[in-house]
Amino acid sequence: MGSRGNPLLGVALAAVLGFAGCAPHSSHRIVVFWQFSPLAAIQPVLDRFRSEHPDIDVKVEQLTWQSGREKIVAAIAAGRPPDLAELGSTFLPGLVADSTLVDLTDSIPELVGTLRGWPVAVYRGRAYALPWMLGTRAMFVNTDLLARAGLSPERPPETWAEFAQAAARIDGLGQGVKGFGMNSGEREVLFKKFMPFAWGNGGSILDSSMTRSVVASPQNIEALRWYLTLKPHSLLDRQEMLDEAFTRGRVGFAISGPWMLRKLPESAPTLHFTVTLMPRPAANRGLPASFAGAEALGIFRGSKEKAAALTLARFLVREENAMPLYVATGNAFPAAYAAEQDTYFVSHPLDKVFVRQLLTAVAPPVHPRWVEIEEILNAELEEAIYGKKSAEEALRSADKKIQALLGAPS
Amino acid sequence: MSQRVGGWAVPIAGLLPWSLCFAVFGLVPLFTAFLLSFFDMNPLRPDLTHWVGVSNYTRALGSPAFWHALRTTAIFVVGTLPVTLTLAYVVAALLSRVRRGQGFLRAAIFFPSIPAMVVTAIVFKSLYAEQGLLNGWLAALGFGAVHWLQDPRLALPSIMAMDVWGSVGYYAILILASRKTLPLEQLEAARLEGMGTLEIERRIVMPHVKPVLLFVILLNTIRSFQIFTEVFILTRGGPLESTLTLVYHLYERAFYHFEMGYACAIAYLLLFLVGLILLVQKRVLGRAPAGAM
Repeated sequence: MGSRGNPLLGVALAAVLGFAGCAPHSSHRIVVFWQFSPLAAIQPVLDRFRSEHPDIDVKVEQLTWQSGREKIVAAIAAGRPPDLAELGSTFLPGLVADSTLVDLTDSIPELVGTLRGWPVAVYRGRAYALPWMLGTRAMFVNTDLLARAGLSPERPPETWAEFAQAAARIDGLGQGVKGFGMNSGEREVLFKKFMPFAWGNGGSILDSSMTRSVVASPQNIEALRWYLTLKPHSLLDRQEMLDEAFTRGRVGFAISGPWMLRKLPESAPTLHFTVTLMPRPAANRGLPASFAGAEALGIFRGSKEKAAALTLARFLVREENAMPLYVATGNAFPAAYAAEQDTYFVSHPLDKVFVRQLLTAVAPPVHPRWVEIEEILNAELEEAIYGKKSAEEALRSADKKIQALLGAPS
Repeated sequence: MSQRVGGWAVPIAGLLPWSLCFAVFGLVPLFTAFLLSFFDMNPLRPDLTHWVGVSNYTRALGSPAFWHALRTTAIFVVGTLPVTLTLAYVVAALLSRVRRGQGFLRAAIFFPSIPAMVVTAIVFKSLYAEQGLLNGWLAALGFGAVHWLQDPRLALPSIMAMDVWGSVGYYAILILASRKTLPLEQLEAARLEGMGTLEIERRIVMPHVKPVLLFVILLNTIRSFQIFTEVFILTRGGPLESTLTLVYHLYERAFYHFEMGYACAIAYLLLFLVGLILLVQKRVLGRAPAGAM
């Protein structure tokens, strides 16, 4: 009997151990966070969050750019969305329109003045996400080709006229070298490549009330006419192939993102290049505009840990937590204004060009039917690039279709 | 009695894991998709799902995009199937005649079908690039660059060529395996009777491998109608929708426009169409004399 021990003691011990085991869990909240950065890059940031908020555990998962969107959609459909997710600016309008995200407006008034990039997260004056990382594109310039074409590598083109002339002269070098890398064959990115020129020229896609298409405005038509004049001097291919061609010194100019700054020194150590702002219509007219993309942090309505998710989101958007992610991945910049003053940009002046470019970058409108608007615009731009329609025909056709869409019930 | 139960238990236990997986990952989605095809369903707002009857089907049949995608898919099927089948048959015939190094050649020919289509497509994306290897070779021969994936007239044929390259080896090995079961005595008797190589192929070999050829045709037809990965990786339906196939169209409707019910209706129209074609193929080819295939 004695060797078997006291059964009552056993029950009591089990109860104590049971409570002991439960106690920490009952006060612990678990936030499921889906994001796109490699875990090696995000984990140190989350470790700091854990030390600052020991009561919140973060279950982080890395999404892939190829299937992340589908995974989020499937999770929402299954009624088991993550608590917090990194959402791209082109995906966000659909989620907002379908009331999938929590309205954060009243919970984050103090963040409004600390972050840039709100246009991608705000719909009808309400904020449905926190801008976290901002991406934009700038002009990569092969300075060797510029010099070979008899142009000053110290002063890359700043205006449309200078740019078109430089592209033509580089194209004239022959030997398989082309002046400009023009996107084609991937319809989904065409508006991102063309609209910067239209935005810089004062153009737009929708009017300020977002109820009327202004795609066929004279500013847009002028921009597209000019853009198409670059075609004879351009290499037409998909973005990654254009990046590759620039890496191999085969194109003079390529519109690309900051990831190239990490790639080029490794894969083309002998390539001489610089990065400049996008060309503006004229020295005394327009802006060097670019496309503004954003990775925003959204909390799903189906989340069971909304408060904890917001705590995590607030932590992530802080400059000191977002900046290490940029340093590690080199893809997009912190939305926090304070990041501009980071010493990293002193030692990395080309990265700083992207920060300057962000100041004149424009985000596509947050509209519930954005996916369809984007599809129409891309299809018509493709027709223009392939010479099936003139600039005017393509934009007028896009205008008509978008207007019909805006008039149709969603 | 217990012995009989014991006798059944083993095969049932063996079949159970696969059957369960098939039921969960095959049958349940199949029936769910069929049901969904009669609903208007946005996965982001499942609470708003509502019955729309057959309107998803009528919408698809009245949609120019659906017919365009179907036409593109049909061109792909008609363009790849005969080429793949002919090449696979010829390769198998040549391989069967090789006496030395057949093992190596078999492995080499089968190799393209081993990597996942995603991997093959990524490799071909580099080959087909404007400044890629293929254009490099053409330039070395004095030809200008070809816009393999950028030219709307060439994009689909380029994908078809890749698909043929990736699948010929697999089908060739199947046909070769069938040829190997042909008794040598039969071939020798045919030769003694004075039959030439082509006549032997037509009158002896083809009838023998006919069931495998039929299998290859059916399998390749199904695969070709399902073409998606190649388009997703290489062209995303472009340029100018020249490679917009039915499954890619379905994917866009489901995951970009969140029209899950409509996408399911397209999937079932495709299923019906493929089923019909397979039925016709089986009837026609099953009856036809092998030499006529």
